[in-house]
Amino acid sequence: MSISSNSSKPSTWTSTSHRKVRPAAVVRTVNLTALALLVLIPLVWTVLGSFKNQSELAQRPPTLIPRSWHPENYSTALTGFDVLRYLSNSVIVVVVATLLTLAINSMAAYALSRYNFRGKNVLFLVTLATIMIPLQVILIPVYQVTASLGLTNSLWGVILPAIATPTGVFLLRQYMLTLPDELIDSARIDGAREFGIFWRIVLPLCKPALAVLTIFSVLWRWNDFLWPLVVTNERTRTLPVALQRFASQEVVPFNLVLAIAVVSMVPVLICFLVFQRQIVQGIASTGMK
Amino acid sequence: MTAAAAPARTPRRRRVPWSLRAAPYLFLLPNMVIFGLFTIWPALSGFNISLYSSRNGRTFEWAGTGNFERIFSDADFYQALFNTIVFVLAFVGLGVCIAVVLAVLLNAQGFGKSFFRSVFFLPVLLSPVVVGIVWRWLLERNGGLVNEALRAIGIPAVPWLVDPTLAMISVIAVSLWTNVGFYTMILLAGLQSIDPNLYEAASLDGASHLQQFRSITLPLLAPTTMVVLILSTIHGFQAFDVIYNLTGGGPVGATTLLVQYVYDNAFGPQMQYGMAAAGSVVLFLIVMSFTLLNWWLGRRAEAV
Repeated sequence: MSISSNSSKPSTWTSTSHRKVRPAAVVRTVNLTALALLVLIPLVWTVLGSFKNQSELAQRPPTLIPRSWHPENYSTALTGFDVLRYLSNSVIVVVVATLLTLAINSMAAYALSRYNFRGKNVLFLVTLATIMIPLQVILIPVYQVTASLGLTNSLWGVILPAIATPTGVFLLRQYMLTLPDELIDSARIDGAREFGIFWRIVLPLCKPALAVLTIFSVLWRWNDFLWPLVVTNERTRTLPVALQRFASQEVVPFNLVLAIAVVSMVPVLICFLVFQRQIVQGIASTGMK
Repeated sequence: MTAAAAPARTPRRRRVPWSLRAAPYLFLLPNMVIFGLFTIWPALSGFNISLYSSRNGRTFEWAGTGNFERIFSDADFYQALFNTIVFVLAFVGLGVCIAVVLAVLLNAQGFGKSFFRSVFFLPVLLSPVVVGIVWRWLLERNGGLVNEALRAIGIPAVPWLVDPTLAMISVIAVSLWTNVGFYTMILLAGLQSIDPNLYEAASLDGASHLQQFRSITLPLLAPTTMVVLILSTIHGFQAFDVIYNLTGGGPVGATTLLVQYVYDNAFGPQMQYGMAAAGSVVLFLIVMSFTLLNWWLGRRAEAV
């Protein structure tokens, strides 16, 4: 992404077209810096806190830089309190749910974009209509369905209810609509099977859209809270649910809670740094979050 | 997947082959099964559950409109509804204003633009649990970072999460902290699609920056702002995660919103499924009307 190619006012600190630094630009940069600090300070404070020991964390007034560094907080936190189990639960949920989401959403998108069939419009409307039904308003009946399918004691109960995403279908459908008809027709004339066309020709061409959906699915599942809170038990808890318990029951020392919080932030930050462009474009084009 | 592959084995014929006719339905099947089981059926049965009462979550008795009568005479429900309206008004009003200002600032910024953009977006990606836990720690009355900073400039400790009004303010502020970056990104994309020649022409005509903002930026950004307004309204009504971790709905229900009212009733010790389902229906109608409004405006914008 080019930085200021289409910004309306090209005057900046480094702008060469103006001799002087414009006061408006200085004020703006100062404001943005202040707001950026408002975001960054809590995060830096959290990371620094995760390296302090309990007594230093409780000290008043607080210290900024830990007087003594305790990286062992991380090993203690991760090896105790079943954290590794919750971490692996989260990883399993993210990986399996994302693979299933990609598979079934792209299949649905393919049907809705490349075929004409009876009921197509109705089924597309049904897909769109599910956007109107967020989990929050159907929490109880979804729980009942999940329970009656016997899924409440396994990770499938966390994974399955949310794998069909209307935004994912919509995103992939829009992308598939742009593929040329000739591609699919000629493959059909060559005798390719329907699933073969989808799998070997269409999917590879949809990599950019699939990448966007992958990133969002990973972020959604990794941070997901309300549904795992409702459906998981001691064994199947995901990391956010476990973290909530640790913090509210005050069994786990707070410096270790902070260490686990930092661990749970790392994958998201890596994902963001690597895929920033796709994330921003995905949001701008679909408004999904 | 094998289910979808199977019909492709039938030999091709001159007429539209069976495989071609069945294929779209088979491709749609898995997604529709999940939608049906975990969204559409629950949405329908949710209305049904709201007509029954249950004390243990297992046995249900017909209650007619009893659950609705109960929630509409339940002081907690009215408090949750009132809290939700206060929260949504403040969250949406402040959120949209801050996001517009931030997006305009970011769009004009040259130096470090992508750095600032990344920083403002960062909280959007954080787990709401982490956000809630960290801010509860920062807002602690004794020794929290915020109060320590205030003390350094001579302001006595503020009971952020202890006083009901301040707790609501804190909940709104932290929700803005996590979400504003998201709305800013959408608005920034809207700003970047405005033709820069318009500004050039305006400044050639001698229009000031403020005039340009009022007569070019604001009107051309209006459709995007409307999208953000409605998205944030829907998000506001769905708010739960951050608040549950920040205040747990307290003190004494001062920050309990409708989603938590539903959650507490259904999964709290009482297991009042019927009452919770009735609360869900109310929430459902509110959220659905805003989503429909969003959709309608989106279609109208496309048609223009």
